[in-house]
Amino acid sequence: MELDVRGEICPYPMMKAVEAMRALPEGEYLEVYTDHSPCLDTIPTQAARLGFETSIEKIGSPEWRITLRRKP
Amino acid sequence: MTTTTTAEPRTGPLRLNLQPGVGLLVIAAAGLVSLWAARADSQFAVFWLMGMAFGFVLQRSRFCFTSAFRDLFLLRDGRVMKGVIAGMAVATVGFTLIMSDRLPNSRLEVVAPEAHVSPLALALIVGGLAFGLGMVLAGGCISGSMYRMAEGYLGSWVAFAGIMTGLLVAAHTWNWWWRLDIGRAPRLWLPNIAGYGGGVAITLLALAGAYVLILWWESRAGLVIPLTLMTHDPAVTFGDELRRTYRAIFVRGWPAISGGLALGTLNVFLFAYEHPWRITGEISAWASALAGKLNLGLAPPPLLGVETLAGCTLSGAEGVFLNHMTLSNLGLFAGALVAALLAQEFKLRVPRKPIRYAQSLGGGILMGYGAGLAVGCTVGAFFSAVPSLAANGWLFAAALTGGAFLGTKALRWLP
Repeated sequence: MELDVRGEICPYPMMKAVEAMRALPEGEYLEVYTDHSPCLDTIPTQAARLGFETSIEKIGSPEWRITLRRKP
Repeated sequence: MTTTTTAEPRTGPLRLNLQPGVGLLVIAAAGLVSLWAARADSQFAVFWLMGMAFGFVLQRSRFCFTSAFRDLFLLRDGRVMKGVIAGMAVATVGFTLIMSDRLPNSRLEVVAPEAHVSPLALALIVGGLAFGLGMVLAGGCISGSMYRMAEGYLGSWVAFAGIMTGLLVAAHTWNWWWRLDIGRAPRLWLPNIAGYGGGVAITLLALAGAYVLILWWESRAGLVIPLTLMTHDPAVTFGDELRRTYRAIFVRGWPAISGGLALGTLNVFLFAYEHPWRITGEISAWASALAGKLNLGLAPPPLLGVETLAGCTLSGAEGVFLNHMTLSNLGLFAGALVAALLAQEFKLRVPRKPIRYAQSLGGGILMGYGAGLAVGCTVGAFFSAVPSLAANGWLFAAALTGGAFLGTKALRWLP
């Protein structure tokens, strides 16, 4: 599943990512697209609390893809 | 409990980026500005360069007073607030050394020059609540909006217009508040009653207590993520070491605690030179000067009692565009721009939802009005007031916390 929160600032990228993680079907993973760097700190924190693993990839200047997968 | 989560961005294939080159050009231009400023007034050059240092650190550490307060409620995350506390602890020691040098006997009925001591008024509580709510709605406080303006956030420019408007409204209502409340309220500067040693001990103990309280609050969320390490890049050669160090400073974000400590240290430097870090007094001067220039009868009247206050007092009819604090605020913008460009984090960001503009404007007005009543923003009335050993810093912090809590409730009503 993809979540595009480019243009949104704190706390929206994190809040929307949390909503999406909670609603994510089993076996799916979530890709969050953002251009707001502070959520590189907040999303992994919340992801860990929800049992997700985070990997962050810089895909632009400045744009990031945050991939969130349920921990096995 | 440990976690292997890493916030280390893996560098993907990137196109050649011009941003660092533009950043170097901005540095060169900033150097020319400081030469010009030094010829006009050496103080101008110092404040320009200090402003740049503040802006650079704010952008690098993504230091956000709003998230410090808001995330306590929204995430039960005290990461940024711990950075704020650490910075204030450093500044408390530094400020006390400076104040005790400038006013050796603290038991007199006076306050050390330039310490941010203001009345414990109802207006301070109202101002803190309005400011706390406004900053959460706008997604950044005043310093936060200023460095985000430099990063290319259009919403922050709208917030800044709101802040100027709110400060102008506050200047028009100041005399009413002064007669009702502010002029009669007591001021409490800890060294007057406890000496410098007692004042510094009380402040440091209270900061430590707040830190422990945050640890407890975080632990109730079940899982606490440790601080991100500075870097994971392995280094073998001298070149690797140089690259890693460059990336750690100029490319990767700093942990909030590094940002807080650096800002606290810079604040001590600025006080040693002249006075603590302040922002809103100058923005009020711009707003009042602009209102005067427009000649529409919007210029505020002369303000009662402001000459008895230090810190970020509002400007009445005497608003000006250019003084040393103008250079400090513009320097903050320039420093943040340099930091964003070197890190390749500049981008024109346009909110997609129209309601975000309304949030920025409304939040900005609330912040401007609140900062006017409270004699400062999260910087002047909090980050520079607590280390001034002034009780008003703590009262404002409590009101900000309440306002931020209201803000997190309000966010849930918005799309």
